[in-house]
Parts: sequence; C-alpha cells; structure tokens
Amino acid sequence: MNGARVEFRGLRRRFGSTVALDGLDLTVEPGELIALLGPSGCGKTTALRCLAGFEQPDEGEVLVDGADITRVPANRRDAGMVFQSYSLFPNLNARDNVGFGLRVRKAPAAKRHARAQELLELVGLPSVGDRYPHQLSGGQQQRVALARALALEPRVLLLDEPLSALDAKVRVTLREEIRRLQLSLGITTIFVTHDQEEALSMADRVAVLREGRLEQVADPATLYDRPATPFVAEFVGAMNHLPGLVSGDRVTVLGQTLPVEGPSPDAARVDVLVRPEAVLVTPDGEGDGIVMVSSFRGSTARLRVRLGDGNEVLADVPGHDSARFAPGTAVRVGLVERPVLVSARPEAGAAAAVPEPDVV
Amino acid sequence: MASLTPQVSTQVTTQVTPGTVPARGGGRPRRPRVWRGVVLLLAAVYFLVPLIASFVFTVKAPGRGFSLDAYGQIFSAEGFGGSLLLSLGLGLATIALVLLLTLPAVVAVRLGAPRLRPVLEVVCTLPLVVPPITFVAGISTVLRWGPDYLASTPFYQTIIALQNPGFPVVLVLAYVVLALPFAYRSLDAGLGAIDVRTLTEAARNLGASWPHVLLRVIIPNMRSAMASASFLTLALVLGEFTIARLLSFETFPNWIYRISGSQAQVSVAVSVFSLLITWLLLLALSSAGARQRSGS
Amino acid sequence: MRDSRTRSKGRWAAAPLLVFAVIVFGVPMLVLLGGTFTKEGTLSTANLTESLQGAYLTALVGSVKISALVAVLGGVLGTFLAQAVVTSRFRALREAVLTASGVLANFGGVPLAFAWIATLGNSGVVTTTLGLGQHGWNLYNFWGLTLVYLYFSIPLQVLTVVPALDGLRPQWREAAQNNGASTWQFWRYVGIPVLTPALLGGVVLLFGGAFSAYATAQAMVGSTVPLVTLKIADALTGNVLIGHENVALALSLDMIVVAGLVMAVYLPLQRRSARWLR
Repeated sequence: MNGARVEFRGLRRRFGSTVALDGLDLTVEPGELIALLGPSGCGKTTALRCLAGFEQPDEGEVLVDGADITRVPANRRDAGMVFQSYSLFPNLNARDNVGFGLRVRKAPAAKRHARAQELLELVGLPSVGDRYPHQLSGGQQQRVALARALALEPRVLLLDEPLSALDAKVRVTLREEIRRLQLSLGITTIFVTHDQEEALSMADRVAVLREGRLEQVADPATLYDRPATPFVAEFVGAMNHLPGLVSGDRVTVLGQTLPVEGPSPDAARVDVLVRPEAVLVTPDGEGDGIVMVSSFRGSTARLRVRLGDGNEVLADVPGHDSARFAPGTAVRVGLVERPVLVSARPEAGAAAAVPEPDVV
Repeated sequence: MASLTPQVSTQVTTQVTPGTVPARGGGRPRRPRVWRGVVLLLAAVYFLVPLIASFVFTVKAPGRGFSLDAYGQIFSAEGFGGSLLLSLGLGLATIALVLLLTLPAVVAVRLGAPRLRPVLEVVCTLPLVVPPITFVAGISTVLRWGPDYLASTPFYQTIIALQNPGFPVVLVLAYVVLALPFAYRSLDAGLGAIDVRTLTEAARNLGASWPHVLLRVIIPNMRSAMASASFLTLALVLGEFTIARLLSFETFPNWIYRISGSQAQVSVAVSVFSLLITWLLLLALSSAGARQRSGS
Repeated sequence: MRDSRTRSKGRWAAAPLLVFAVIVFGVPMLVLLGGTFTKEGTLSTANLTESLQGAYLTALVGSVKISALVAVLGGVLGTFLAQAVVTSRFRALREAVLTASGVLANFGGVPLAFAWIATLGNSGVVTTTLGLGQHGWNLYNFWGLTLVYLYFSIPLQVLTVVPALDGLRPQWREAAQNNGASTWQFWRYVGIPVLTPALLGGVVLLFGGAFSAYATAQAMVGSTVPLVTLKIADALTGNVLIGHENVALALSLDMIVVAGLVMAVYLPLQRRSARWLR
C-alpha cells in the first residue's frame, strides 16, 4: 500500500445561506498525515466529505494522483473513511464489519474472514471478531472502524473526528496507534479535528481552516511558533495580547525591547503576541504583578497575573514551582528574549490578556 | 424499494446544474421521488374517504339535501345522556384507581426495589397479550360461579354490588387492568425523564419526609406523564365495547350499537362525533407531550 | 440502614398493584383455566377438544387467517407510508401523519364499523355514488373486514416503524458506500436486516390487534364471517347447548395460546431492535 497525492482545487460548497467551503486549495503529499483543524463550521468536514464523495462541491475539483474524481460516485472511490462514532453496522459482528467491503465485491467467505482477521490483528483486536458493535467499547468500535476503512487497501485514509466521542485516556492511546499504523502503511491520511492538541501531536502538517478557507498550512512546530495570522495564533495554543510600541524592527513591551518577527502593521501601537510559556514570572515583593488565579496542570501551572497597568497576562511556570505562586503573591513579569509576533490592535482598550473562557 | 434510485442519477442531476445548487437541508442531493407522492396520495384517499363519506352520510337527508338534523337528534335520543355519563364516570374512576395503583409502584421500582421491575413489566404486559374477550369470559364465569359458591358469605353481597347497573364497579376493575400497560409505560417514561433518584435524594437531604417527597416533588414533576396516562385511559374507557357488552352494561359504545338498528344516521353521527372527541383528546395529549419535550 | 428501609418500603408501595393484579386479573384467568378443563363437574379435556372441531375450528382458523392477512398487508403498506413520511422534506407532513396515526391507530370498535358502513355499506355514500352495488360489491365479508381492519392497522405500523427508520444512521449508509456498496447492497446487507426486528415486531402487534378485535366485527358482519371472538361472545351470551357453556372458556384459552405464541416471537425481536437502534 502506498499513498496517493490528494489535491483540493478551489472547492466551493454552500448550504443554503451558509458557505461551508469558500475556495479551498490544498495539496496533500503522498504518505503524509495532514490534519484539518478549525472551529466548528469552518468547512473541514465538508472538505473531507467532498473527497469521500458524500458531498458534491458547487465549484472546484478534487484530484487523486492527478485524476479528477469530483464526479465519481462515493462507492467507487479509493478512500477509506472512519466516522465520528456509531458507524459500525449493528447487525454484523466485528469480522463481518471489517469484511463488508470484500463481501460487496463478492470475495469468497474464507478470504474475507482471513483478511478481516489480519486487519483486526493490525488494530490490536485479534479476538473480538465474533462480537457485535454493542458488545464493544467506544475505543474498540473505532479500532474496528479503522480496520474496516483499511480493508480494501485504499490509497487515502479519511478520519472524521474519530476520537472525539472517546474519553481522554483512550483518545491518547488510540491516536498514537493510528499514527503508528499510518506511518507503517505509508497511507496518505486526512484527519479532521477541532482539537489542536490532537492535530499538533499526530500530523506531519496541520491545515488551519477558517470560514471555508485555508488560513495556514505548516508543520506543527512552525504553526505554533510562527502562526501566519492572528487567527491561527489565537486558535492554536493560548496567546497573550500585550500592548507594545513598534519602532523600526523592534517593539517595546512590558519595559523590554524585542525584535519583531515577520511583518508589522503601519501603526506604532500594536498587540504583541506572546505564548504563556514565554512569559517569565518570579516572586518579588517589589514586583507590580499580582497572581490572581493559579491552575495546576501537573507538569506546569498556568497563572493569571494582573499587571500594574490593569492588563492581565497568562504565564506558565513549572508544576513543582506552583507553590511559590499562590494567588495573591506579588511577582515580577518579564518576557523571554526572542523575536515576537505583532498584530494591529483591534481597538483601543480591548486589548488585555486574551484567554478563552476555559483557558484558566 | 423505489426510494433507492441508483446513485448515478445523483451525478446526472448535479452535473446538469453545477453551481446553481438551491438550499438543501442535508448532504444528499434530492431526486424526484414519484413513488412517495403516489404512496401519500393513496394513503390520503384511503384514510380520508371514510371520514368524509361518514359526514356526508349524516347530513344527507333523503329528498331534502343538506341537513344537520342527525346531529341534533343525538342529544335528544333516548339513552344518550345516561350512557355517556356512565362512560365518563367509569373513565374518571378508572383513571383515579389506575394512577393510585401504578404511581407508587413505578416510583418504588425506580427508587427502592429494582428487582421488582421484571415482575411489574410482566404484570403490565399480560393484559396486552390476553385478548379482552377472553378476559371477560373469565370475569363473567367468576360472576356466574360466585353466587353458587359464596351465597352464604359476605362475598355474595360484594359480587352483587360489583354489578350494580347504576355504576358497575366490575367494569372499573376490568378497565384498570386494560389500562395498566399504557399507564405503566407513560408513568415509567415520565419518571425516567426526571431523574427521580437525584430529586428524591436532594429532597430527603433537605429534610423532607417520604409522603412529602411524593406529593411535593415527584408528582408535580410528573404532571404531563400523568396527564398522558389519564388521556389514554379515558380514550380507552370511552371506546371500550367488548367487556361492557358481554357483561350487559349500557355504556356509550353499547348505546351507539343499540340505536344503530333503528336510527342508522344518528349512530353514524355519534360515531363521527366520538371520533372527533378522541381526536381532541389525543391532540391535546400529543401537544402536551410536545410541550414537555421542548420544555425539558 | 437507610437503604434497607427504603427497599422494604419500596416493596410495600408496589404491593397494592400486585395484589390488585392477582385478584382482578389472576382470578378470572384461573377460573378460565379451571372451567376449560371441567365438564359437568369432572376433570376433562372435552371442552378443549370441542373447541378445536367443526364450526369452532373454522372460526379459529378464520381469525388467524384474517389476522395474518391484515398483519402482512398492514405491515408492508405501513412501512411504505412510514418511509415516505420519514424521507420527506416537509416537517409538517411528518408531524401531521404521526399525529393522525396516533389517533387512527386507536380508532377501532363500533364507530369504525359505522364509518365504513356509511362509506361502503349497501347504502353507503361511495357505494351509491359509484353504483358499486350493481357490480356485486359487498362490504360484509372477509375482504371487507380486512379492508376495515387495515384502517387502524396501517397507522399502528407507521407508529412502530418510524422510530426504527429514524434510527437508521446516515453513517451506516455512508460507511457502506465508502466500502464500495451500491444503494441496493446497503439495503440488502445492512438496512433491511437492521429494520427487520422492528418490522416484524410491528407485524406481530397488528396480528394481535386484528386477532382480538371484536367490536368492529360484531357491528359490521355479525356472524357472516366466522371469527373466534364472535363465537366466544355467542357462547357467553348463552347461545350454546346446555352443558357446553365451558366451550367459550376453551375457545378463550385457544386464543390466549395463539396470542401468547405470537407475543413470544415479539418480545425478543423488540429487545434486539432496541439494542441496534439505541
């Protein structure tokens, strides 16, 4: 099995008045695992369904290894798909679910069973062949679904939020396993998710979608360290917005002057984008920051610090240090010396720390 | 099945009109489905014609054209008031008794005695399995034998009292059995929707006594389930013919049957009328159900 | 401590219902059983034998025949109607059909018979308007009764099957397509097998409904169509030879056995369907 190259060219799709895809262009290299990441309604699932053949784009085309498959019926496409949940046929046991594609192709029963067993072993469930979906746990069901998707040796694997219905622990093991399998099979894989951690940890490249358009596509480290747009910066990881003053290619923020990364807006007053882990805090009775909230996360603790000027900033400190940063502690706040991203200030006064409600 | 027009036709339709896709609910393109129109049309004819024809039948006086006389005669017909009142009275008594018996049992099974659930399920399914006419065969035998064996005991008086034609309690008892499956199911579903255990534990935690919990916490939260059980019971009692006829009590359906011989038009008019009542009852029921669903 | 007290209270709260059921339902059933096997004061299977012979057997077979016919026809037609409604784009149509089904499924008994008599009886509106009388039309026979029984059976099937049709997840269809299945193959390997328990369950319910129907038949055909319910009613109202009164009880027992067998098919199906369509 080797992977195919997949290209989306100018895909557009409207549902009534909502635009799901608004001219999506994206090329997936053979054997690559690419994650489509974005908030709900950004078109990531629609893009996947256009590739699987369950949706017809209004405009644009989908190419697999250079061949236009836009009008090919779903049941003649060479792409295996794993759905979000409950997609196993309830009337068939795990073996027959996996062997379904071969049965449709009139393969003899013996061959079907052998192949199904082989695939069940591949996904780590050698002994569940006789069980029905309702007798399997959620994680097992998704493994069987994965085996079913791989049974016809497709050249593209499509994963539509396959982990979102599972609980946290199973989610992590299963995603590692999917990645391992994908690497060993070398199959081109497109993974739709709204979970940035999932995307960053599994994918070769992550494509961030917003309102049906591609915002940025890059490897996880680049995406995190050098988000191309403020939207990506916001969506991937937590981000502080701190008021700064640009002069030339440097910006002054929190009393420090740092080099600016990438382009800077025309105005002198900007937002400086800083990750919480790039914020340095030290307990200091003289410091002008006060820890408001500290939430312990094991290896780190995330602090919400109110600065003297009224702004708030998020900062990560090592977990074993969290005792020194109890709420009410006075701290000094600085930034790691490295280039920073800046963006135009949305409007005066609206620029404190940024946290989404669930960040702290 | 005709619903399953091959996928190919999808491709054709979409190719014909690329880019000009109208608003669609779901993902799959719609295709013309003639069969659906045909099915719905036939169903409409089959189900509406008898209703319309019945109405026409009642208003078509021979030689005079349109007339609502038949409906006027309903109310003046001999036996109408008495039988309707009897049926309504039986209905109310049945509702009261069935709720009184079922509600505590359902609550108990949910809270304290889950092992009784299978027993209750069986008890409340049996009346569905056993046809009413066989049930009444049993009852009438008991009523016939009773006097023979019990003549010298106080039970004799009881059996006589059960069959008082003014208000035959025996019918109430039989109807409660028939209504059990429906009442049990609605109440059980109603309880399932409100998480009684948490509610009860919260109330107990706040110091409420058991009767207080039942009256002030559970029952108010089950109003619509109880309403639905009551409506179903009422509809059942108002329409029940078999048992009443074979025990010779003139309830409303029996009265309709009796007058049909002499006044065909009036009996059909009453049928239309009683269908209308059932419609209203069940419409009230389903809209109450919808309200509860949207409320929760 | 509190738990065990709660538990014993729980049993007591269920007690009235159980006692009631035992007396009001259990005693007549026991008497029925006893009467069936008693003839002139002695233990005997004569009643049962008699109930399975001659006119009684004809009536029992007639009931089973019409019930089976109604169940199959109603099952098929109701399923088509349900599918038409479920796949419809119009939410209002769906609501209207479901509400109407709820009402019509409960529309049995005497009023139903009269509505049809007024429509297709000898002087019914449709009969006279279309002049069906001259073509030998007759509502008061086996087929007429079937037509009338379908009037409450089809809606009942719609009510039973719609939840099952709703429970067919779109992912199944898509997963099947994704594995290369045509639409027909999807229905053959997944759709129909998944629906089967619900469909059969509905058919069983229809059978039960038609089998135990008495009022409609009594009001419509009297005794021109042999049905077991009509025979039982006849016997109960004294329309039998002296000494043969208990044949009614034996016939009742026959009915219960048939209905019980049918239900024994239904319950496991129902359970499986609930599991699949959860």
